[in-house]
Amino acid sequence: MVRPVEYARRSFLHRRLAEHGAVFAEVAGAAVADHYGGVDGEAVGAAQLALADLSPLPRIGFKGRNALNWMISQGVRGLQTDNAVDVQYDGVRAARLAPSEGLVLCDLEAKSGTVARLAEAWSLESAPLCFLVPRADSHYWFAVTGTRAAEMFAKVCGVDLRPDRFAVGSVAQTSVARNNAIIIRRDMGHTLAYDILGDSASADYMWRCLLDAMAEFGGKPAGLSALRRLAAE
Amino acid sequence: MSAAPYRLPPHPGERIDRDKPVAFSFEGRTYEGLAGDTVASALAAHGVKILSRSFKYRRPRGVLTMAGQDANTLIQLGDAPNVPADTLAIAQGLEVAGQNYSGSLARDWGSWIGHFGRFLPVGFYYKAFFRPKGAWRFWEPVVRGRAGLGRVDVKAHHRYYDKAYAWHDVAVIGGGPAGMAAALEAARAGADVLLVEENPYLGGSLAYARADAEGELALRRLTQLSGAVRGAGVRVMTGAMCQGVFGENWLSVIQGDRMHKVRAKEVVLATGSVEQPAIFRNNDLPGIMQGSAAQRLIRLYGVRPGKRAIVVTANSDGYGVALDLLDAGVEVAALLDLRAAPPSCARSEAARQRGVRVVPRYAPWEGVIGKDGTVSGLRIARVVGHGRCDAPDETIDCDLICMSIGYAPSAQLLHHAGGKAAYDKASATFTIRGVPPHMAVAGSMDGAYEIEAAMTDGRRAGWDAVTRLGKTADEPPMASKGGAGWNHPWPVFPHPEGKDFVDFDEDLQVSDIRNAIAEGYDHIELLKRYSTAGMGPSQGRHTALTLARLAAEATGRDIEIVGATTVRPPVSGEKFGHLAGRGFEPVRLTAMHHRHVELGAQMMPAGLWLRPAYYATPDKRAEAIRAEAAAVREGVGIIDVSTLGGFDVRGPDAAELLNRLYTFNYKNQPVGRARYALMCDQTGAIIDDGVAARFHDQHFYVTATTGGADRVYQSMLWWNAQWRLDVDVTSLTAAYAGVNIAGPRARDALAKLCKDVDLSANAFPYMGVRLGTVAGIPARLLRVGFVGELGYELHVPASQGEALWDALLYAGREFDIRPFGVEAQRLLRMEKGHIIVGQDTDGETHPYMADMGWAIAKKKPFFIGMRAIAAQMQRPLPRKLVGFALTNPLDPVPEECHLVVRDGAIVGRVTSAAYSDSLRRIIGLAFVAPDQTEPGSRFTIKIGEKKLIEAEVVKLPFYDPDGKRQEM
Repeated sequence: MVRPVEYARRSFLHRRLAEHGAVFAEVAGAAVADHYGGVDGEAVGAAQLALADLSPLPRIGFKGRNALNWMISQGVRGLQTDNAVDVQYDGVRAARLAPSEGLVLCDLEAKSGTVARLAEAWSLESAPLCFLVPRADSHYWFAVTGTRAAEMFAKVCGVDLRPDRFAVGSVAQTSVARNNAIIIRRDMGHTLAYDILGDSASADYMWRCLLDAMAEFGGKPAGLSALRRLAAE
Repeated sequence: MSAAPYRLPPHPGERIDRDKPVAFSFEGRTYEGLAGDTVASALAAHGVKILSRSFKYRRPRGVLTMAGQDANTLIQLGDAPNVPADTLAIAQGLEVAGQNYSGSLARDWGSWIGHFGRFLPVGFYYKAFFRPKGAWRFWEPVVRGRAGLGRVDVKAHHRYYDKAYAWHDVAVIGGGPAGMAAALEAARAGADVLLVEENPYLGGSLAYARADAEGELALRRLTQLSGAVRGAGVRVMTGAMCQGVFGENWLSVIQGDRMHKVRAKEVVLATGSVEQPAIFRNNDLPGIMQGSAAQRLIRLYGVRPGKRAIVVTANSDGYGVALDLLDAGVEVAALLDLRAAPPSCARSEAARQRGVRVVPRYAPWEGVIGKDGTVSGLRIARVVGHGRCDAPDETIDCDLICMSIGYAPSAQLLHHAGGKAAYDKASATFTIRGVPPHMAVAGSMDGAYEIEAAMTDGRRAGWDAVTRLGKTADEPPMASKGGAGWNHPWPVFPHPEGKDFVDFDEDLQVSDIRNAIAEGYDHIELLKRYSTAGMGPSQGRHTALTLARLAAEATGRDIEIVGATTVRPPVSGEKFGHLAGRGFEPVRLTAMHHRHVELGAQMMPAGLWLRPAYYATPDKRAEAIRAEAAAVREGVGIIDVSTLGGFDVRGPDAAELLNRLYTFNYKNQPVGRARYALMCDQTGAIIDDGVAARFHDQHFYVTATTGGADRVYQSMLWWNAQWRLDVDVTSLTAAYAGVNIAGPRARDALAKLCKDVDLSANAFPYMGVRLGTVAGIPARLLRVGFVGELGYELHVPASQGEALWDALLYAGREFDIRPFGVEAQRLLRMEKGHIIVGQDTDGETHPYMADMGWAIAKKKPFFIGMRAIAAQMQRPLPRKLVGFALTNPLDPVPEECHLVVRDGAIVGRVTSAAYSDSLRRIIGLAFVAPDQTEPGSRFTIKIGEKKLIEAEVVKLPFYDPDGKRQEM
């Protein structure tokens, strides 16, 4: 049995996940909530509404006047439009948050080496005026999935995230339940889904807020396996 | 429970479920209603007419509108007062009661006050109870005890309310014929449409009014429109009240326990109109209601509103009411038409054909009070002029009087948005005169009273909205509008003995209004404020029109000039719970938070963070703090400092930015070294402190206080934007967890986990900084200390903070390592003489005042606050921060802000104080007069009201003055 405390890198809310009955699996050198008892049921539930913790998965950011140019020089595609995401050849997604800021999120399988490669390549000397931002530590990373997701978000966020108004790949840098957050539309297979990233110290608070907002729609925690199943559909 | 004698047989369009009986209680007695009933309709089915008592005179009151628009039906629901019985749905086991009475609702012994009404004019208590001085203290509870509506449970539990946002192209407010037509038109043009209806069903007047002689048209149109609306993809919110329109079409819509914050590009207001009461003596008796209220009882709830009725009207709708009453089996004793020569229409002809006695040019003169306090008859009188009648010449027995004498537009939301309505003589009511951009009005509020006209008007409004959105659709025709013939210009028949109520909420009679004007309150706004007309729960719906008429008459001004009073949100009563919504109270937790809790820490708030104060139960607080401090002084302790602000300042101009932001010099700071960082604002006041660790020529890692982190970050970004330096500032406050390991054994403990950094004093001296790993975790090591002992601040990625904590505690076991909290840290830092910004400084404390001139680089050309500090130093210091110790060890520990006094004058204050085990005396920091700062000087501290204690100035730091312990 995988236990989060056996790893140096831990989810910001691994205890909370354990309280929900999470069964953990090792992914990218950390323990990720893989499921909460039954992947089949979770996948069905996640198609309606679910919340998943992806915080242990790799991600990285860069900012600075030369940040996007350097990322492109490292093979990152896209980054042409603010608040938009470009999917890379290996499933990694790169978001341009501003003309001087980019964010890279690994794929659900966490098999791509892009994030690690970028981290390895970066230094103050090799990337002048491009500065690494440790997004894996500064920000939690949750996924909200399901057809009721936009309705749920309407209870905590003032941005219209309905699927016909907020296209796949769109990014909103906004406030969620009085916390700054980055919301990215990233459907999984045919299922509506969003990434939400925010202050890692507020991970527990935000997790509770979102679950509370989901309650009226029957939303529950889901594990990474359920999300992977949705993505494969 | 008895059968409901007034329940009618089933009929199309009713909103009740005959197969679902529901038992509830009112005033302790159990009644049976039907699912879909309101409390008022269910009680009406049992013949219960008295629902409440009035505000001032305790007069019995009953159904007036059946629309939740008045105070007459306000009842007590558990701990919730003032719940409208005519809209509150019954539920199994529901317990409700009347309110504002003494004794029983039927026989209120407090109603005697009504006999003294002539001695209680408007504003009587303003004039009566202010003398002699202090009298109001006696009278206030008496007056307040008698006034008011309902009972508030101040200990009621907070219920779960929340809020939700919504976004739509077009929001249509009002689900009547015009609103549905507007929504349909907009949706068919491709707009995303929201339709908001306050009732639990769509239809508005279509659901209850009789628009034709046969009584079929309204229901037919309702079926057609509501089906089409739902089929067109319109989002329909029923049971939803739009309480206000704010800037840029921001609408607050209350539905259940949720406030919807709706943003609409275009808004169509189709909120209808409010039927107005006739003003005559005893017009407030239970059994006297609007014609539309009687129709609602009949058509929506299947309730016969009485047995023998009189209809008072001035338009065709009154004839429709009479026809509905007849269909419901009510005897219509007479129909008084205020008009001298009522025009003929299909409904009036049908009424006449069915034998209704139509009495033109007659007015209600006085309602007759029955034994049970409800109406038992009506004295009628011939109208001979403007509000004047002959002596009454007939009394007609009845138990129901229906008033249908005209309407006023329900234009509150339009007013909120800045729209205008003004009196129009032709239509004898208020009409819409100005509509704000991106808004349209439709239906009866726009003067389109007929069903077909309202629908056409709605279509046009919907088309206008989508056209402004850039969508194309076929242009519908203009509606044929015009309100003439619907409203009587003066349905006011004052009675010499009064009780001719203009405002039911506040028990205001015609004479009250006239007297207020005579006293000089002759502007409509002043009149409203002084008389309180329109300030009750009805919010002037049934008052504003009459008020304007009376004001015009009394002042001799044209009624179109008199105008109407200002209308403000909310449209109807709303709860504080709705406004508050769900409380979002962000809490930030460090990576080690749960470890602290597991160790028994008492957590304390620090901004949004929670920090361990000390590790013990509260009853062992003092011992715990002493033990934690001792562990640091004698062995090794660790404290979670993750809440400190942390910023990466990187780029070619990194040193330049810091040089301008902080008081020290950072340009010449070597890589691998840290420097104290003191930040002032432009007035020279200290606002934060921390350290700046240089890891690279272009990279500083700067810390800030927990409480000041956001301000420092904001300041860095703002000034960087101003100065356009080539530097980037990244906040790492949450990204990095921090642990300070301190004490004589700190190096030994750390050495067990850190193999790639030479920790020896020579290789890694005090104020040195290194990059390395601790327990395999990449770490920034800063040899700094707040507590005055050998110590290292270890900053690691937050996701690995807990692992670092675990590893340090494990490695330190052989050295009896002990976690220490904020309380112990505050004591230890004070022993060392370190200030806490915000506690030992205030908004006027500049560095010299805090005895920190050493932290200012004298040779650099600029830093923020430099000029202000220099200017202040041209004058003598008004006070200075010093260390002190109490001279008498038996004196109590002074508290923060205890005053430093001299000859009765305040010269300073204590900022920090505590008993130091290490020094075995009470020490502290205090602002004192400039001539009291020399070590050995003595000054006086005032403890509480009278006690004075003596303190002696001590050179800082108290502990380890040579710094040998922290530099070892």
